[in-house]
Amino acid sequence: MGKDECKTMLDALNKVTACYRHLVIALGSTSDSQNLREELKKTRKKAQELAVANRTKLTALLKDKSISKDDRAEYERLWVLFTSSMELLDVDMKRSLEIGQDFPLKVPTRHLIQTGMTGSTTTVAARAMSVQNMKYEADANIDTVDLKELETEIAQVDQMMEEMEMKVQVAPWAVEAKQEAGAELKSTVSVGNSSVGVISICEEEPKETVEGETGLMKVFAGIIFTVVLLIAGILGYLVINL
Amino acid sequence: MTIRNVRDHGQRYRPRMACLKKVENVVLEMQDPKTGVKSQTQRLVITTIPHAITGEDIVAWIANRFKTDAAEARAMGTMMVAFGYIYPLQDHKRLILKPDTSLYRFQTPYFWPAQQWLVEDTDYAIYLAKRNIRKKGMLELYEQEQYNNLYKWMNHKWDFIVMQAKEQYRAGKERKKPDRVVFDCQERAYWVVHRPPPGTVSAMDYGHDRMVDPNMEEKKTPDYYRRIIMFIQQCIMRPRVKSSVSIGALIKYTTTYKEHDPFLHTCLPSSPWITDDVTYWTLNMPNVETPTKMRVERWTFSFGELLMDPRGRADFRLFLKKEFSGENLAFWEACEDLKWGAAETMKEKAQQIYKTFLARGAPRWINIDGKTMDITVKGLAHPHRYVLDAAQTHIYMLMKKDSYGRYLKSPVFKETQKKAVAPESHRFTETQLEQNAKRRRPSLSPIILRQQEEEQKAKLAASGPVDITQVMSKLERKQKN
Repeated sequence: MGKDECKTMLDALNKVTACYRHLVIALGSTSDSQNLREELKKTRKKAQELAVANRTKLTALLKDKSISKDDRAEYERLWVLFTSSMELLDVDMKRSLEIGQDFPLKVPTRHLIQTGMTGSTTTVAARAMSVQNMKYEADANIDTVDLKELETEIAQVDQMMEEMEMKVQVAPWAVEAKQEAGAELKSTVSVGNSSVGVISICEEEPKETVEGETGLMKVFAGIIFTVVLLIAGILGYLVINL
Repeated sequence: MTIRNVRDHGQRYRPRMACLKKVENVVLEMQDPKTGVKSQTQRLVITTIPHAITGEDIVAWIANRFKTDAAEARAMGTMMVAFGYIYPLQDHKRLILKPDTSLYRFQTPYFWPAQQWLVEDTDYAIYLAKRNIRKKGMLELYEQEQYNNLYKWMNHKWDFIVMQAKEQYRAGKERKKPDRVVFDCQERAYWVVHRPPPGTVSAMDYGHDRMVDPNMEEKKTPDYYRRIIMFIQQCIMRPRVKSSVSIGALIKYTTTYKEHDPFLHTCLPSSPWITDDVTYWTLNMPNVETPTKMRVERWTFSFGELLMDPRGRADFRLFLKKEFSGENLAFWEACEDLKWGAAETMKEKAQQIYKTFLARGAPRWINIDGKTMDITVKGLAHPHRYVLDAAQTHIYMLMKKDSYGRYLKSPVFKETQKKAVAPESHRFTETQLEQNAKRRRPSLSPIILRQQEEEQKAKLAASGPVDITQVMSKLERKQKN
């Protein structure tokens, strides 16, 4: 069905947009590198492909006059999702252009901002590209070459968005959200214990982390203790009997 | 989708934020491994995160680089923290630089307060949704309010916001632990700067945006030159005052009003804008019974001050009533009413004033010289707003030179001075300040204030002016008896 296809494609675009944002945030900091620039380029290209695919599909669906009112409302909702994604992507691309220009990599006195992030962003990019491992094959001066391409791509995206505005007549404010406030709490993957511990470090309440950690430890200790007791009991029973 | 068809009239130029580019250069200099700020590692329970800097190191570096003293360096460091280029790791809500061993870290360039990137509410909504997921629904009070507001007015984008928040959250989990911690701290610091918690002041408050980019070169069209020529011609025609005279006047003004300015001096009992306590405003209402000592002092500075303050004017009116020269003030007030009043009632008002004050044998006849009387009577044939200006000025100078001096020595004024209240300064604790902030209410509506003013005026008019003929006739009757 057209709707399900649309939804999966929109989910994919959403995922790529989120990953792109994470990558752009790492630009200019100490986790910046050749690899990051290449990851940005690849993610961007994938985002654009998805965007074009989404657009053709959605415009085809919306232009169809013979759909029911409910269907049309649903397609309008999907359209609003698509345009919001595109806006975020547009802003992130423009910002990555600016930050990329301000922080070139191949300069002798390179000053990247010491933000405390030192790890690589390969896993994020792999998630965006839906692959297991990322392959890096770009040449040394990707940062300057890429920027020119980036400018042309930004122009393309701007043009696409203008066309979309002109051609598709959807009133975005008329769309009603399906999710209610606090919907994000319901269907997320359960937050693991380790990440709860990590995040509470940030909250200046080291007591919480310590408690969380020692709580776990306590549980383990209790289990081991009971096991030892059981073994001791069994041995004692055997000794008494034998 | 945000509406993009509206032409951008360049309303994004923030003139006071030209300092941002300069601060960015300073931050870049700080990164130099040899000459920059020394960095340490932050040790948390399980992880260690590099690139933490202490407050005292920052202050020392700035003082060294700009050759200033420690206090100035600390102020500059606080500015950098307030803008969001450096964020504190402990006590993250207070954006100040503490010159001790408290730790700070640099913000990533994406989250710098750049001039042309507007802070979008969509991003804030996504951030709040992510925080909601992490804190399992336990947001702080102000965050919860913002969340509800955004849900109401960004409802059409809400599905997108939820989807994007979940995806960003999952993408964030792909990174290693220390990076995740740093990212959370960065994002939180960014939003403390741009959506400050209640009771804090934001450095990003810069006033109105400008229509025109002040840094852009203007094209030299004939229109531009015409404007420049007009401007210079007007400059030449302006009357000039010797700088010694104008500076002398400025100095006199500042020395007199120095202690009365709430920005330069402490405001008693406490400035409502800082402590959210409105005692200062209630004590200084226009029609309060007992004015404050500062207010009474201001009446002694000049006659204008006395007349402009409604309470002062009421006091003066009382004094004049005792002296039986209330007609001067009444005439002056009537002229003001004519100048500022509605255009349709102007003719009747002018006629009324003439009958009451200016005509020969009028009940409240004022004493002005012949020439002014001539001009005024001639002007009243074709009345307009400023027809009584000459007479009003004459009466004003009369009151200023004569009655004002006597008023300041009179028992009425001395009584008011004695009764004036000098409130004590408030001393609020942190919790009391928070309570005050929660109890903030809007002040009286201007409609109600205007109604009160009108009632006052009606009461005054109804109490009847004591005119000289009535008093004279009373005296005569007394003498007869």
